[in-house]
Amino acid sequence: MNLRLEIVPRTAPSTQALMMVPAITIALSVLCAIVLFTALNHSPSLVLYSFFVEPFLDSYNLSEVLIKAGPLILIAQGLAIGFRAKVWNIGAEGQLTIGAIFAALIPITWPQSQSALMLPVMILVGGLAGAAWASIAALLRTRFNASEIIVTLMLNQIAFQILLYLINGPLKDPRGFSFPQSVPFPEAAMFPPLVEDSLLRANMSIWLVLLISVLAWVFVARSFAGFRLLVGGLAPNAARYAGFSANRAIWISLLAGGVAAGIAGVGEISGPIGKLQPILSPGYGFAAIIVAFLGGLNPIGIVLAGFFMAVIFVGADGAVLAGIPASAPVVFQGFILIFYLASYTLVNFKFRRVRGGTV
Amino acid sequence: MTKFKAVMTFATVLGLAAPAFAEAPLNIGFIVPNPIGEVGWDYELDRGRREMQEHFGDKIIVTAVDSVGEGPDSTRVMNRIVAQGADVLFLGSFGHMNDGLALAKRRPDLAVLHAGGYLNEANFATYSPKHYEAAYLCGMAAGYATKNGQLGIVAAFPLPEVLGIMNAYVLGAKNANPEIKDAKVVWLNSWFDPARNRASAESLVAQGADVLFSLFPGTPAAVAAAEELGVYVTTTLSDNSEFAPSKHLCAGQVNFSAIYIDQVNKVLNGSFEGVDIFAGVAEGAVEVAGLSDDLSEDQRAAIFAKQEAIRSGEFKPFSGPIVDNTGNEVVAAGNQLDAGMIKGMNFLVEGIDSELPY
Amino acid sequence: MDTLVFVLAGAFATATPLLLAALGELVVEKSGVINLSVEGMMAVAAVIAFVITYTSGSHLLGFVGGALAAMLLSLIFAVLVLVFSANQVASGLAVGILGLGMSALLGRSYESFTLTAPAKITVPVLSNIPLVGPILFQQDLVVYLTIAASAGLIWFMQKSRNGLVLRVIGEDPHIAHNLGFRVLRTRFLAILFGGFMAGLAGAYAATVLTPVWSQGMIVGRGWIALALVVFGTWRVLRVVIGAYIFGALLLADLAVQSLDIGIPSQVMTSMPYLMTILVLALVSRDALRIKLNAPVALGENYRPAH
Repeated sequence: MNLRLEIVPRTAPSTQALMMVPAITIALSVLCAIVLFTALNHSPSLVLYSFFVEPFLDSYNLSEVLIKAGPLILIAQGLAIGFRAKVWNIGAEGQLTIGAIFAALIPITWPQSQSALMLPVMILVGGLAGAAWASIAALLRTRFNASEIIVTLMLNQIAFQILLYLINGPLKDPRGFSFPQSVPFPEAAMFPPLVEDSLLRANMSIWLVLLISVLAWVFVARSFAGFRLLVGGLAPNAARYAGFSANRAIWISLLAGGVAAGIAGVGEISGPIGKLQPILSPGYGFAAIIVAFLGGLNPIGIVLAGFFMAVIFVGADGAVLAGIPASAPVVFQGFILIFYLASYTLVNFKFRRVRGGTV
Repeated sequence: MTKFKAVMTFATVLGLAAPAFAEAPLNIGFIVPNPIGEVGWDYELDRGRREMQEHFGDKIIVTAVDSVGEGPDSTRVMNRIVAQGADVLFLGSFGHMNDGLALAKRRPDLAVLHAGGYLNEANFATYSPKHYEAAYLCGMAAGYATKNGQLGIVAAFPLPEVLGIMNAYVLGAKNANPEIKDAKVVWLNSWFDPARNRASAESLVAQGADVLFSLFPGTPAAVAAAEELGVYVTTTLSDNSEFAPSKHLCAGQVNFSAIYIDQVNKVLNGSFEGVDIFAGVAEGAVEVAGLSDDLSEDQRAAIFAKQEAIRSGEFKPFSGPIVDNTGNEVVAAGNQLDAGMIKGMNFLVEGIDSELPY
Repeated sequence: MDTLVFVLAGAFATATPLLLAALGELVVEKSGVINLSVEGMMAVAAVIAFVITYTSGSHLLGFVGGALAAMLLSLIFAVLVLVFSANQVASGLAVGILGLGMSALLGRSYESFTLTAPAKITVPVLSNIPLVGPILFQQDLVVYLTIAASAGLIWFMQKSRNGLVLRVIGEDPHIAHNLGFRVLRTRFLAILFGGFMAGLAGAYAATVLTPVWSQGMIVGRGWIALALVVFGTWRVLRVVIGAYIFGALLLADLAVQSLDIGIPSQVMTSMPYLMTILVLALVSRDALRIKLNAPVALGENYRPAH
């Protein structure tokens, strides 16, 4: 083998490549989707139409895109802060669940209340509870050096079991015929709809998501703290030299992720769901990891990536109605992330033709 | 995606495309929560749909979608189906209740039929078969078949419907065999986990059970395990004989089409109402099936005689005196549980060795 | 007593898919790579093995097919992290999502189909020993082979040169490179081995342990396998013991219910995860770290310098 391609690091990330990554990703994913759906005996053009066009065709679908994008963007903003510092919080699903449980205690305790304070307090409690759940991982990592990847992963499962226990037991709606769910929340506990008196489910929480996205942008791009996280992750020695504490980066990362996921949990129970039930999230905590990466760990990119993923999710339901198996869109999403991860390499690396040599 | 369809969709959103033309087929949307399979909940719902379509022919068109799970995403599928012109919507999961209700309130011209819920609106009906009637009959079969008097029950979740089935089963078993021991129960707390399902069956057999009851499991794993372990098994929803050819004792077979055909006729003639439909042996919605040849002629005759008594209304499984397993009399002699109390069942009868998990 | 035998004997079979997948992941992590796609690999292997066994009637072919399918997924993962230097956490999750989607897609038309499980091996004489006999000497072939494979892996890790190379690479790939070891090649082989083992695990779950196809065949067992590697602190023998404990816990949940002990099922279900966190916290303290063989470079990509 005399001539071969080799991947070598760039001296600085390539902005040009960064722009090309989404295009390459989508092109390759669409190609794979065409093969997949043809193999399944479905017209690929019809499926792609469902995925990418239909979600934009009417106000109902657009509203659904907002509902889906909200939690994805919110959680991804929190996670990205940690990912920049190389703190791998895989536990957003659990933090969302715990945030939702604690916030739900308020409307469950006062189901008749009409207090305007209820929703703000729920958001506060949900964020704090999510952060508290994440802080278990932060504590174990900083005190005992326990991998936060494993701990947050385990805490997901435990959070889900706690939810199941509570809605089958103490928090079960006494008039709900023993079905595992809480009492329905009063109106004061719900986010007001975006458009009054309409059929649309989209609600005001999207403004909260955008506000937090702006805060994330300020935090990451402008503030000293953001710089610290960047450095703490990329070069621990440099960070220590400059007087920054790696432990502090771990705490900030996990707490930020926990707060965001906890608030996202409130967004679900106080939005489309309106009570506690066994399934609070269709995997938002994991999908948000994809969104964070698709968005290049950049707050603005995350907003765009969140909307992109939401369009695919909403489009997927249309594809299912067109006769596509419900699992096919999941495969498609897997392709998208895989191609993104592969093509993102171009941002930090370049291909070079070399002669000989070993790897 | 023709222009015509877009116009139709628009018209439907405005409520203009209500079933006005007698010759236009009735447009039905039909969703079930899981893959269809060959037995069980989703299979039976779907079989009901197929029989309904056979019955009505080109008078109806049906859009059927499976694997529409619970949670916020199912709403979108419902709304899309309705936006595409459905006049009737069948919802196959308890978890579809709240979103289905909201949709029904927004669309008064839509007729919704929801399986297994407990809330109604003027255009939102609920339906459930009286599984407990067949369970009583299968309980009799279990009482006849057990050698050591030890029954074992693998149950999904402690929902009221499940408690009702379990209670009727044990009452039936005691009717056939007053000497049996307290039945043992394992709660799966999951719908789909074949390994756990199978292990539950093994666990009960290890504790001496010689007749198992597979109560609403999402998979036939416990039934297949019973065949391997050489113990009899009774089942719910579908005749599971193919999974336990030599050990299948009895099944409480449901026939949803009995309910569907009746209700679609009501929609067609304008008499549909958002009521609770509770249909059993008498309505043809439930029957015993897959009775084992190992039962004697007399035993089978007794079971069928009891089925006829249920059909005629002469016998009701929940007739007093009934004592719960903490010693309280819940139904006095001469009284019977009414439909509301059966649907809200929150106790276990004497003879079941289990506490309600919560 | 019968309940005790049920739990202690059944734990072997219940533990086997967990152990197979965990042994594979252990080798992957020892090379310094974390592959979070175990659940997805097991799910794909399960459906492929089921369909092949169903069609051909041969369990052996099913295992081969399952292992190859999972290796194919691990190959995608290997290319992402080794060739494209993509983030390991994200890559593992991406491949896992693909695997779960594929599994549901391929298994759709096999819902509630059944197979015949291979018969258990009853060791003559020994299986008649009271208590011990049914627990140790009435298991299926795969259970015994898995225990043998664990012993082989102990030898590989501790005695063989390649095992040493693997460990050095997981500790510090740069030093390993300077010593002349081929970091990427070793990691590539380790990842494929991880796929192979996850494949066997999925095949066992779907064709031997529970020979009925249903969605949710794997339901979280891949995540338990990941926990198991940590619970066993990256030591083969401890992972074997941990697998047995987790297997017994999964069954004890069911057995305990009918013994009126009154522990909520959710507590029992949470136990493997709680125990893993506890063990992780106890053993990860710095002083003990070297002794415990946690691969220091876990999760960090390596690119040879030029």
